Amino acid sequence: MLLIHCPYCDDTLPELEFAYAGEAHIVRPEDPSKLSDEEWRDFLFIRTNVKGVHAERWRHINGCGRFFNALRDTVSDRFLTTYKAGEARPDMTQLEAAE
Amino acid sequence: MNAPVTSFDAVSVTLLPPVARFNLRIDPKDLSAAASAFGLTLPTKIGEGAQNGDRAAYCMGPDEWLLHAAESDQQAIVSAFDKVRATTPHSLVVISDRELTLSIKGPAAAELLSVGCPIDLSRLPIGGAKRTVFDYAQVVLIRDAEEAFRLEVWRSYMPHVQGILEIATREFAAGY
Amino acid sequence: MTKYRVKGKGRVNHAKPVSFTFDGDRFEGVEGDTVASALLANGVHLMGRSFKYHRPRGVVTAGSEEPNALIGTTRGKGQFEPNTRATMQEIYPGLKTESQNKWPSLAFDLGAINDRLYMLFSAGFYYKTFMWPRSFWDSVYEPFIRKAAGLGKAPSEVDPDSYASRYLHCDVLVVGSGPSGIAAALSAGRAGSKVVLLDEHAEMGGTLLSEPSITIDGKEAWDWLEAALAELDNLPNVTRMTRTTAMGYYHQNMIGLVQKLTDHLADAPTAAPRERMWRVRAQEVVLAQGAIERPMVFHGNDTPGIMMAGAAQTFLNRFGVLVGENPVVLTSHDSAWYSAFDMADAGANVVAIVDTRPEVPAALVQQAMKRGIDTLVGHTATGAKGRLRVKALRVNPVRHGKVGPAQMLNCDAVLVCGGWTPSLHLFSHTKGSLHWDPEAKVYLPGHKTENVHIAGAGRGLWGIAAALEDGAKAGTDAVKALGRMTGTATYEVSNDRAGTGITQKELPTDRSAGKAKAFVDFQNDVTAKDIRLAVREGMKSIEHVKRYTTNGMATDQGKLSNMNGLTIASDALGKEAPQVGLTTFRPPYTPTTFGAFAGYHKGKHFEVTRRTPIDSWAEEHGAAFEPVALWRRAWYFPQAGEDMHKAVARECKATRESVGIFDASTLGKIEVSGPDATEFMNRMYTNPWTKLGVGRARYGLLLGEDGFIRDDGVIGRMRDDLFHVTTTTGGAARVLNMMEDYLQTEWPDLKVWLTSTTEEWATIALNGPNARKLLAPFVEGADISAEAMQHMSVVECTVGGFPARLFRISFTGELGFEINVPARHGKALWEKLWAAGQQYDICPYGTETMHVLRAEKGFIIVGQDTDGTVTPLDAGIGWAIGKKKPDFVGKRSLERPDIVAPGRKQLVGLLTDDPKTVLTEGAQIVDDPNQPKPMKMIGHVTSSYWSEALGRSIAMAVVEGGFDRMDQTLYLPGESGKPITAKVTSTMFYDPAGDRLKVE
Repeated sequence: MLLIHCPYCDDTLPELEFAYAGEAHIVRPEDPSKLSDEEWRDFLFIRTNVKGVHAERWRHINGCGRFFNALRDTVSDRFLTTYKAGEARPDMTQLEAAE
Repeated sequence: MNAPVTSFDAVSVTLLPPVARFNLRIDPKDLSAAASAFGLTLPTKIGEGAQNGDRAAYCMGPDEWLLHAAESDQQAIVSAFDKVRATTPHSLVVISDRELTLSIKGPAAAELLSVGCPIDLSRLPIGGAKRTVFDYAQVVLIRDAEEAFRLEVWRSYMPHVQGILEIATREFAAGY
Repeated sequence: MTKYRVKGKGRVNHAKPVSFTFDGDRFEGVEGDTVASALLANGVHLMGRSFKYHRPRGVVTAGSEEPNALIGTTRGKGQFEPNTRATMQEIYPGLKTESQNKWPSLAFDLGAINDRLYMLFSAGFYYKTFMWPRSFWDSVYEPFIRKAAGLGKAPSEVDPDSYASRYLHCDVLVVGSGPSGIAAALSAGRAGSKVVLLDEHAEMGGTLLSEPSITIDGKEAWDWLEAALAELDNLPNVTRMTRTTAMGYYHQNMIGLVQKLTDHLADAPTAAPRERMWRVRAQEVVLAQGAIERPMVFHGNDTPGIMMAGAAQTFLNRFGVLVGENPVVLTSHDSAWYSAFDMADAGANVVAIVDTRPEVPAALVQQAMKRGIDTLVGHTATGAKGRLRVKALRVNPVRHGKVGPAQMLNCDAVLVCGGWTPSLHLFSHTKGSLHWDPEAKVYLPGHKTENVHIAGAGRGLWGIAAALEDGAKAGTDAVKALGRMTGTATYEVSNDRAGTGITQKELPTDRSAGKAKAFVDFQNDVTAKDIRLAVREGMKSIEHVKRYTTNGMATDQGKLSNMNGLTIASDALGKEAPQVGLTTFRPPYTPTTFGAFAGYHKGKHFEVTRRTPIDSWAEEHGAAFEPVALWRRAWYFPQAGEDMHKAVARECKATRESVGIFDASTLGKIEVSGPDATEFMNRMYTNPWTKLGVGRARYGLLLGEDGFIRDDGVIGRMRDDLFHVTTTTGGAARVLNMMEDYLQTEWPDLKVWLTSTTEEWATIALNGPNARKLLAPFVEGADISAEAMQHMSVVECTVGGFPARLFRISFTGELGFEINVPARHGKALWEKLWAAGQQYDICPYGTETMHVLRAEKGFIIVGQDTDGTVTPLDAGIGWAIGKKKPDFVGKRSLERPDIVAPGRKQLVGLLTDDPKTVLTEGAQIVDDPNQPKPMKMIGHVTSSYWSEALGRSIAMAVVEGGFDRMDQTLYLPGESGKPITAKVTSTMFYDPAGDRLKVE
């Protein structure tokens, strides 16, 4: 069971309080009717499925209730960082330097 | 309603009488309006609580507060918030019946809770509260004193939570 | 006193005899014994039969790594456990134990015929022996293997024991209570850290329990141990747990511990759980698990009486048992020499110490000579005599790689030591890397992925002094990692037994290696020859060798066999061990009961059972229940002599003719509130909400972004800025989560807030022509007459004196009301309506009747008539889409090419040609029953019932191009006989004009 840092509670808590919510930084288009079928397909279904650092969403569902973003290494299953919804994806090179 | 569910020297588990309970959602910028409607300054850090007599407020999320008051004050509080809604948008929802509350008290209270609570209870400050889980149930855990907790559980989950606490209390009483 | 018990030796209570049974025979041990030590005290080495060949096997270790002495224990009715390690099970008066894998008896086992047929069971036998003839697999081979293979028999009764679990948070968790573990716990405990020290044995001390002659800080080992444990017990921040196994090491220092609480007790208190699973989160972990002694691989090395030298030393010093009177010691490590000395000092006639190394320390030889023990240095073992007990060991000198002439050493035990393997199983669980030490030929801990410190023999250190020093340092390091400063304790040790040794492949022999039965894995009956055969047959990685031979795949996970297997495989491949690899250790460290994992989740706490406020009324009135999501819901209310069919027919009729009462409390309810509530609802739901007046209600349909139906429910507008949203019972949490997702992450600018009120309200539905007549007298503060309160409206009022949100809606096609009152009043209101309803022959109905009544009207159930691939158009509810709305969740997908393509499955009605035939839900539909198989399925039945109102069966089905097939005959091939024929119809079976809603 992982420990996850909730950026809203600013606390590191057991995974049981959290729920996974898919890949991060996939923004719903402002006006979906303007998208081609292919573009809409990509928005709906196409995901990066990375081996390595994955930007993903979690919800502190049994806590403050907030959705937030995380960078997690899918190989080691480790969280590198978490950040609030709406914030830009942190620069990985800086994170690695900090390790 | 006040009958002990189970108890032995080190810990007692009691079902508490109902209170007026509200879920308040409001932009933190507008908190002062809510404070004057409720008559209590609301805490701003998630997990913190504020009490004055039978009024209490606990910060559950960035824009969410759990409010407690005497049952007889429920309608007055609803009206007070109604008055400020036009100028200060918010959501105040009565949830007095949504949850039931257990009191868990005694030297072994924290250890009894550790049967179902995965969080480190030693880090939960006195006077604070937190939404978390007890076994399969989402709960709000309130700490009133070093050895006194309240567990607010959605009504339909209560038999499950209470059942596990009963089994565990018997273990404690038997020295296990 | 039993024959092999040594007076005054050991930590057992010689004055307290304890009797127990083994295979029906009564044995006497003493308090503090394990089953293994007690049997050994009685001269019994033979404790089991092997897995494959049914060879007689004796106990070889004194710990949880034991591969052979697996027994069944019976503690009471239903309390049978197979595969218990006899070396770990403590005896108590009345304990019943039995050996395994034998028939008719342990000494004479017919299954041992396999041993003569060993050529059939060599490496990869699963893949080879049983492949031909193919037809023999089911009838001959598989039943044979199933009968012969396996360890022990599974319990057949319900386990009456209870199991517990707890979470625990600590600063430092110390696994293993040998000298390094205790030293670590002392360091961390003295520094004030919250420490947990655990050990799988009944007593703490580890090696110290087997090494009483050592002196620490001027105290004898056991006195020092007593004082150290007392000091730990006096520290309020230190917890000690015995009989506790760290079974798995998970992410971020979460360790699973299984604590055995009652298996050693003759009479456990009723409330005492048998085991407790601790889920520990530690800031720092110290692994002080020591090392496991390796067997030596030679012909006949599995003969009972041949055991690990360290185990013999433990049986002697901890339990006061001599495992033999005339033992031979066979070793490649100094440690076994000390075992020999202890045996000799306790009165055994040690026949010889045979050491495979060409040279050994002179001091050891001197000590042996002083005791009159023969030493055969530079010798190999090439065979053992004896079947049920070793009688002699065949040894030969080895010079310059040449095996010389053999001699037989008569003996009653052979004490073996092929070196020591650092116990790094838990470290491996963390994916910590192991690094190969070519000198010692062992794997040692390398790169760490967790906050973990490995101390003592686990790092390849040997001797008590080194273990104490290293443990103290590990404890200090852990404290420092927590950000605190502390000094490191030092310990003065005298009479220490430091030593070294070598690791070997199978021992050299003068006999044909092809005929040798030199076992590597005792539990899975894998020999050195099997491993070499696997390599010859092309297995190059140790992972392949493992699976081909099953080496290390038994319940001991290769604790004794992995390193020997690897050494032999790497020799056969001509590669260094690290190039061959190492198999991965996985949790659990030792076999763990299902009970420990289940904890409290058995019986009525197996899963949450949510109950409504009216549940108890239903129970008192004889309801049958069905699970719906986590809820249990009243299914139907059978009267005397009624089956479900009759009860449902009666409930349907009563509701349509007068009035029925239904508990709808499980429906999800969400308060959507805020100035932008209407905009939010417009974006979430397909329907338009802007023009819905306050006090009116509307059917709401929710799609996923993919355009498929996710949920539905009636939504009432309470205020301009407040909606009372209902969801399906199972969808409540999902819908709220989805709404929060959009609100928080896509539209954070909207001023809207969501609160679940599912459990705030109890919901009672009244349906039927008399519903209003029954309800009206209870209502205050609202006019519910037909003129004042239209269908699809909502009002706040009081009902029966309780504050209520009262909806006029219908899921049955009858005049209907749904009354929401605060949950605590739900049952009281129900009882009032029930009492007043008697004049109308009010009928309580359950979910089954609700399903029938709605199906008669063609109302869908999301999740039954839809399956995640059904759009609103497919379901025939395109009218619920707000056509003028620029956008809503899922709108764009309704124009995707696949969604607009012809031939989609569409929801239609089906009426069987024979009105008495009720179709099976899920039945497949074809349009030509005479086509060749496999037939093309064009759809399936989603709902099917007997309709009492229509006097015939009805069904709903999704069918390819269904809307264009009206009045077509379709076919439903059954399991036998002719296919059932049915006509495609509208789903609106009953009262299509909706006249029944218009009751005055």
